[in-house]
Amino acid sequence: MHSLIQLSIAVLLLPLLSFVILIFFNKRLPRSGDFVGVGILGTTFALSFYIFWSVVVQAYDPAFRIVWDFTWIDFGNVPGVGPLEIRMGIVIDNLTAIMLAMVTLISFLVHLYSTGYMSGDPRYGRFFAFLGIFTFSMLGIVLSDNLFSIYIFWELVGLSSYLLIGFYFEKDSAADAQKKAFLANRVGDIGMWLGILILYSQFHTFSYHEIFRNLAAGKFGMGEGWLTAAGILLFMGCVGKSAQFPLHVWLPDAMEGPTPVSALIHAATMVAAGVYFVARIFVLLTADALHVIAFVGAITAFMAATIAITQHDIKRVLAYSTVSQLGYMVLGLGVGAYSAALFHLVTHAFFKACLFLGSGAIIHAMHHEQDMRWMGGLRKPMPWTFATFTLVTLALAGLPLTSGFMSKDAILAGAIGFANAEGGGFYYLIPFLGFFSAMLTAFYMGRQIWLVFFGESRTHLKPADEHDHGHAAHGSHGHGHGDDHHDEASHGVHEVAWNMRAPLVILAALSVFAVYSPDPLDGAKGWFMKMVQTPETVVGSKEAPAKHEPSAAAPAAGHLLAEAVPAAAHGSETDAQPEGVASEAHAETAGGAAHAEKGGHEFSDQRQAHIAHAAHAAHWPAIIISSVMVVLGISLAFVVYVFRIIDPDRTAVAIRPLYLYSFNKWYWDEIYDATFIKGSVAISKILSWFDANVVDGIVNGVGAMTRRVGFATGGFDKYVVDGAVNFTAFLVNTTGAVLRKLQTGKVQTYVVLLMLAVIGYFVYYFAQLVY
Amino acid sequence: MELLTNIGLNHYLTISALLFSFGLFAVMTRKNAIVILMGVELILNAANINFLAFSKFNGGMEGVMFSLFVIVLAAAEAAIALAIVINIYKIFRSVDVSTIDTMKE
Repeated sequence: MHSLIQLSIAVLLLPLLSFVILIFFNKRLPRSGDFVGVGILGTTFALSFYIFWSVVVQAYDPAFRIVWDFTWIDFGNVPGVGPLEIRMGIVIDNLTAIMLAMVTLISFLVHLYSTGYMSGDPRYGRFFAFLGIFTFSMLGIVLSDNLFSIYIFWELVGLSSYLLIGFYFEKDSAADAQKKAFLANRVGDIGMWLGILILYSQFHTFSYHEIFRNLAAGKFGMGEGWLTAAGILLFMGCVGKSAQFPLHVWLPDAMEGPTPVSALIHAATMVAAGVYFVARIFVLLTADALHVIAFVGAITAFMAATIAITQHDIKRVLAYSTVSQLGYMVLGLGVGAYSAALFHLVTHAFFKACLFLGSGAIIHAMHHEQDMRWMGGLRKPMPWTFATFTLVTLALAGLPLTSGFMSKDAILAGAIGFANAEGGGFYYLIPFLGFFSAMLTAFYMGRQIWLVFFGESRTHLKPADEHDHGHAAHGSHGHGHGDDHHDEASHGVHEVAWNMRAPLVILAALSVFAVYSPDPLDGAKGWFMKMVQTPETVVGSKEAPAKHEPSAAAPAAGHLLAEAVPAAAHGSETDAQPEGVASEAHAETAGGAAHAEKGGHEFSDQRQAHIAHAAHAAHWPAIIISSVMVVLGISLAFVVYVFRIIDPDRTAVAIRPLYLYSFNKWYWDEIYDATFIKGSVAISKILSWFDANVVDGIVNGVGAMTRRVGFATGGFDKYVVDGAVNFTAFLVNTTGAVLRKLQTGKVQTYVVLLMLAVIGYFVYYFAQLVY
Repeated sequence: MELLTNIGLNHYLTISALLFSFGLFAVMTRKNAIVILMGVELILNAANINFLAFSKFNGGMEGVMFSLFVIVLAAAEAAIALAIVINIYKIFRSVDVSTIDTMKE
């Protein structure tokens, strides 16, 4: 076994150990055992970082991949199914190594942060136990080498998110939120499982590698439509976990969990799992499935961004921002910008974790005030939080020199490239929504920064009744600050302790461009995009995109490619020849254009190659448009909130329907309430009626009938059977009474009878002699 | 003597049948258990006469032997029967067989 595999097993199991220790012994350990969680996660991170270093930095090979697996359960030859063997295994490639380091780092920082944020909570130890099992589940997803084990860990993530979101389960809202998250995820998971079964039914294996190999060999026997369906069904798992439209509704409500949980779930682990999973199965997604994914992502990004601009709750803004950014990632995968999407996944994980932890610091300092309307002026009392929060906000908004700029830009370039390559006006909707959302992102983050950190403190503006409400919520948190909390809220705002500050600084530092790429304007020059490259599709595209933009150089290259190697439609075995042709074609047509240097490898699939070229060509337009959008967004935020040229309140009144539409989150909750929930209730009522009348009726009818039959049988028993028995007895009795008369008991009677018998015999005998 | 020599088998058998009938009559009609026993003796002796008569006219000794057995048997029977009668008397204070009917029902 490779030593990295052994290390990765240790990485996987250490958080589970933390969970086991803490869930059973947290009450017996000093400090409720928080040092166990932090210590184990620190060790885990160190090991993960070693793996990261060995794989990404030392090996520095895009094709690096080691696999180890073993037979977990062997059912033998199952009737009706065939040989059924379930294997478990671990795969380590560049993506895994990066994800391992990212997940464990953020988990470790969240553990560290929680020692400050959660201190004084009555279930302090249990919180760390839950964080442990959460990290374990996520690492399982990252390391899995097959669909079966990823599904197991997928459900474990669902369970642990349920536990963490409902951590304050005394609050009804938290209990509701945890149920909502669990149910919404379940909807997606059912689709995912069906997708897994479609693939399993064809190949009788769960392993990614085996499935891809079989697909590349063209062994899928059900037709392209089914493969598209399998891809979309698998994507449904991502829709649930990564909170994509239309299952996004759980994520904002999940803010009921403690803030460190939000940072862990909504930045690094759970929501990343969906995107990671789509990346793992990326090569089997057909062009049609990718289109669906791209549109879902674009709609999610845009919808969530429009909702985020009107929310008051600091965490809710971040939650919708998360949904929006996840939409970007899914969009990126859908348009084929694979490495860009994963790049965004990692950069977003760091800056969004920092944003959540920063908002947690603010909430902590404000004594559990979450409403931005009553904040303000926190810049001076909380300089560290302010600095880190601002930095990562710029990263989220996508300003140059930040990590977010590079990754978001790469996705948007991919989107433009995709639209160019597909050549349809309809497809321009995707980059359009992407850019518009980028502007909205800049706007709502500018709004948030301004409302929270600048201006004067507005704590005293809070209406009394809402204050009481806040107080009640606070009381249920169990921090037990007592009744003097009003006064503290207005005066006692102070910077948080070092154990909450250090994670902020580390995460903010990881949001600077230099970590990822030497060139702040081009992420493709960085190590990440070089190490995580778009894999060759195994399904191929049957036909080249219909139309080509004559102005763009790259589509022309794709066109030449299409003519040169029509046979290369699928199959990666035709590598050498087509690549040579493709390179030539590319060099010829691209000429002296800025994008002449090739960042990655060439694809044998023409559609992929096409999009890759087009995306490359769109690099500068994307940078320019997105920068303009970001500047526009931030300026708009300044105009509205800093200079107050446009009064936000009056604007809200002026465009009241739109404002309410956004403020009420596009009424999704209401729509689901009116359709699915009311519908379920109505169906339940019908079924209840059916149960009460038809099923119970049948049961009661059977009961009544049995009773009747019982009476009939009883009568038969009583009169016929008993009658026969009694008649027999009567007959015997009567016969006895008659025969009894013969038994006189007198010896002489018997002698007489004997005599008569002898005489009778003689008479008979002589009669016979005579005749 | 002629009379004696004219006595044939039928004469013996007639005597034997009469004796048997008397015995049987006694057994069937007398109430005293002792008298019944006497009737039984008559029946046995009627049988003896038959044995001896057939023996005499057939010329074999089997009939004589059988009648000797019967005499022995009758002696034993009388002993046992009288013992029974004594016991009956001890229990019922009577030897009247018409009153002894406790085996009824």
